[in-house]
Amino acid sequence: MSYGSTIKVPFGPQHPALKEPEHFLFKIDGDIIVNVKPRIGYNHRGIEKAFERRTYIQNIYLAERICGICSDAHTTCYVQAIEDLLGVEAPPRARYIRVIVAELERIHSHSLWLGIAAHEIGFDTLFMHLWRDREAVMDILELISGNRVHYAMNTIGGVRRDIVSETIPKVIGSLDFLEKRTKYYMKVLRSEPTVLKRTVDIGVLKPEDAVELCAVGPTLRASGVKNDVRRDDPYAAYDEIPFNIVTDDGCDVFSRILVRCGEILESINMIRYALDHMPSGMLRVRVPMVVKPGEAVSRVEAPRGELIHYVKSNGSTRPERYKVRSPTLANIPALCKMLIGQHVADIPIILAGIDPCFACMDRLVFVDVKTNKKKALDFESFRKIVRKRHELL
Amino acid sequence: MQSMLAFALQLLIFPGIIFLLFMAFFFEWIDRKVVARIQNRYGPLYTGMSGILQPLADFIKLLSKEDLMPESADKMIFTLTPLLSFSLVLTALFLFPMASSRAIISFEGDLVFLIFVLTLTILNSALAGYGSASPYSIIGGVRSALQMIGYEIPLAISLAGPAFSAESLSISGIVEWQASRGLWMILLQPLGFIVSTACLLAELEMIPFDIPEAETEIVAGWMTEFSGRKLALFRVSKDLKMLLASSLLASLYLGGAQPLGLAPPIIVFLAKSIFMLLLMSLLRALFARFRIDQMISGMWKYLIPLAILQVMLVCLGVGRIK
Repeated sequence: MSYGSTIKVPFGPQHPALKEPEHFLFKIDGDIIVNVKPRIGYNHRGIEKAFERRTYIQNIYLAERICGICSDAHTTCYVQAIEDLLGVEAPPRARYIRVIVAELERIHSHSLWLGIAAHEIGFDTLFMHLWRDREAVMDILELISGNRVHYAMNTIGGVRRDIVSETIPKVIGSLDFLEKRTKYYMKVLRSEPTVLKRTVDIGVLKPEDAVELCAVGPTLRASGVKNDVRRDDPYAAYDEIPFNIVTDDGCDVFSRILVRCGEILESINMIRYALDHMPSGMLRVRVPMVVKPGEAVSRVEAPRGELIHYVKSNGSTRPERYKVRSPTLANIPALCKMLIGQHVADIPIILAGIDPCFACMDRLVFVDVKTNKKKALDFESFRKIVRKRHELL
Repeated sequence: MQSMLAFALQLLIFPGIIFLLFMAFFFEWIDRKVVARIQNRYGPLYTGMSGILQPLADFIKLLSKEDLMPESADKMIFTLTPLLSFSLVLTALFLFPMASSRAIISFEGDLVFLIFVLTLTILNSALAGYGSASPYSIIGGVRSALQMIGYEIPLAISLAGPAFSAESLSISGIVEWQASRGLWMILLQPLGFIVSTACLLAELEMIPFDIPEAETEIVAGWMTEFSGRKLALFRVSKDLKMLLASSLLASLYLGGAQPLGLAPPIIVFLAKSIFMLLLMSLLRALFARFRIDQMISGMWKYLIPLAILQVMLVCLGVGRIK
């Protein structure tokens, strides 16, 4: 049904459904979205410039702090790029430890997301229970790395801490608990009518659209496309560990829930296998402080999807240029496609469906609209421009 | 003179305004505590024994907060709606027999009056949303008015069931009828009970029908712009509404205020109401939120036929007792 006229409804940058500032302008006909215009860039943190000012060792800590949830994915990606430039490879045991921490992080990220998705559709009880059980994996991460959020496990040329044999039984015990709970939640989600009403056939993204719009990660796999950096371009020890790529053909928010639940179960099996087959040996190789000139690109399957880091070195102790492409950015065009034709009340769950992390995503570039020229500005000159503009106003 | 004084005391203290206010805070505490325990949280903990005074503390805190009014708001509507919502719910509560078998105010037809007051409270919320002139409030107000279209009719039809059985349009009359037969209406009209409970959940804007104040969609819905004393009044009237809904179910379907052994009617009544509150708190913790179109179509597709079926059964004499 059409009402013949559309109204514009702004969503964000401050909105309860979005924990981070981002703006979407919806064109609405009655209760149906006919067009959406995203406006990204509220959360620019100057992180790429900061990379250029620090040494390669200091940058490990900076990479860790790009995201509070996929902190391990960012450091893995960073150290792999630098290892590539240096021409060194992490020892086998270190590569297994990287897989274990990365998969633990995936479990924690996916359970966090499941909780948020439950909250977005108003199912707070499920949200509370999911987050309570998520503590189990946080405890394992703390046991292994000493930290709950920023694990600081990776370093250039290997890892910083070992997984000692005394902790393994505890880890296995917690994994069994998590497996049991995840299976239970899958049963609940599949059988709860209110959840099905709010998620089935909501935010549909057809496989061909998903591929064309370059969706990544669970969003892409929920449209039935088998795509996973761990399989397509194996890093760390992923070529030695057997695993299935979880996909679902529903193409809606419910499939995104199922894919993430399935990935939690798959990660649990991978960690079990990795703990069993972990080779012995050293944890890291020594690397020089100076990196020879060159460029490198590194890809990692972060919990949210494919993460790309690019580094350009000029032969000093600091990178000349550093670029981070987080998975959320790749999913924004697909997100806009999903939103069209949906109800206004479904906006929060569809937005949350791609597991957005806007703060990791935002970069800034100045474009002169008249000449179509791009330029970079330092903070002082940026401030001058802003002041000038406000005086004029 | 004596009887006037007694009436005033009844109205103001027991079982009138003061008593009802404290019961409302107590009910909010039970609701919060039960939902928190189901969700594996503690709920209120620090104020009073196990946080029993927390709702009162929240109320007093809100009274002391700054009272902001948006510049574009309709001043009169914005000021009057909190007062109106508080007084409407209180008025409706006077219709229930609590301390004895007669209510403070009771007349033939007060059941219809009650349904009318319930409708007015929702119109009042829609008006409050409209008067705040903020996008969230307006959407919330429209949603609450839309939701009313969904649940008001099945609620009215299902409440006609007990009235038909007892051949009385007064709540006190229905309670007396149940007391004289020694039977609870829920045994005779289980369908009507289910329909009324679902509709009252919607009336209270509880999950799965908390659509007008869906936090992740429209902040606090029609209540978004209210703060300070006005918000305090809205919150206390929401608590009173919770008391009203559980009293309604307890009176019409569970026999209401009757003496049971040594227990005076008020204790029996409160026990039954708290039981109904527990039921509603449990339901509110078990579901996700419906979308507004799903809610209205569900109400019209399932609850209205069920309610009509119940009334038809009563008219045909099923479960009818002379």
